[in-house]
Amino acid sequence: MVIPAYNEGGALAKVVQEVRAEYPNVVVVDDGSSDDTFEVARRSATYCLRHLINRGQGAAIQTGIDFSLLRGAKYVVTFDADGQHCVEDIAAMLAPIRRGACDITVGSRFLGEVVNMPTARRVTLRLAVLFTRVVNRVALTDAHNGLRAFSRRAAERIHITLDRMAHASEIIDMIRRSGLPFQEVPVKIRYTEYSMSKGQSSRGAVRIAVHYLLGRLMR
Amino acid sequence: MSALELNAFQILLLVALGLLQVGIIMAMVSGWVTRRDGSAWGSLILLAGIATLWPKLTGRVAGALGIGRGADLVFYCAVVVMMIGFWLTYMRLRHLRRELTLLVRHIALLEAQENPTPNDVKRTQGPSRHKVKDD
Repeated sequence: MVIPAYNEGGALAKVVQEVRAEYPNVVVVDDGSSDDTFEVARRSATYCLRHLINRGQGAAIQTGIDFSLLRGAKYVVTFDADGQHCVEDIAAMLAPIRRGACDITVGSRFLGEVVNMPTARRVTLRLAVLFTRVVNRVALTDAHNGLRAFSRRAAERIHITLDRMAHASEIIDMIRRSGLPFQEVPVKIRYTEYSMSKGQSSRGAVRIAVHYLLGRLMR
Repeated sequence: MSALELNAFQILLLVALGLLQVGIIMAMVSGWVTRRDGSAWGSLILLAGIATLWPKLTGRVAGALGIGRGADLVFYCAVVVMMIGFWLTYMRLRHLRRELTLLVRHIALLEAQENPTPNDVKRTQGPSRHKVKDD
């Protein structure tokens, strides 16, 4: 389980505790936080890595994937640190990969359940889905869900170069290019005041799209 | 070309361009700037010097290109050069950011191997096999 964390000291311990209760190998990557995220991660996680300076969520996820592969992981699951995801969904994410039906699963809140999602966020995410269909040419129902699972061979093909939030679109590109089979899995997302304060604004979404397009242009 | 009658502004500009040219040559010699980049900037400074020395020349070139005034030609060229400069700087910055991320990742992986958490029951044996990838 790879959990990227940036200034998540307030929510991290509970999230890690919940995940570790079911899955013992939890890797937290502290992305240069200025709060006590690293100390919390060291106490609660199985493995803890620290970026000396903030490099963005995409960079933190790649660090976590690299570490997991070095430690011989058979599966890699990415999980957000803000408490939005449900641990119960991880089993459903891993099931198709374990039985060999696919190599990658991507969580979809629109196939599953959403709790307390603000309308503005819903609209932004719908537009992101449209963007993914047009630009990435992948028909997903939820383009920017942090809950993803990879088989080892799929994780080995993930090389995130867009360090910040545009990595979500880059991962979709990599999934398409890899030619590996993937599935969407219904998951539950819980929006809380805390998770909303950590999330992206609509303006941020535009910035992410621009970063992604620029990154793609210069690949 | 008519005999050169330079005003104070032209003289100042030529001195500035001359110093810039010397700086570029020194940077090329010392290896701070690649030969390709240095040649490009040097040629640009040379063209700016020619345009400063013979301002009517830009008018003739502009007329041949159908632009009209020499000042317009200089302005358009300056905009294009600035845009190329911004783009190259952005690319360089992007490359540096990428290298920085790889370095930060490498250090994070090494640290994690050397200082496992109290919960890491396996405890790491041996140094990191991770290598910083070439960009």
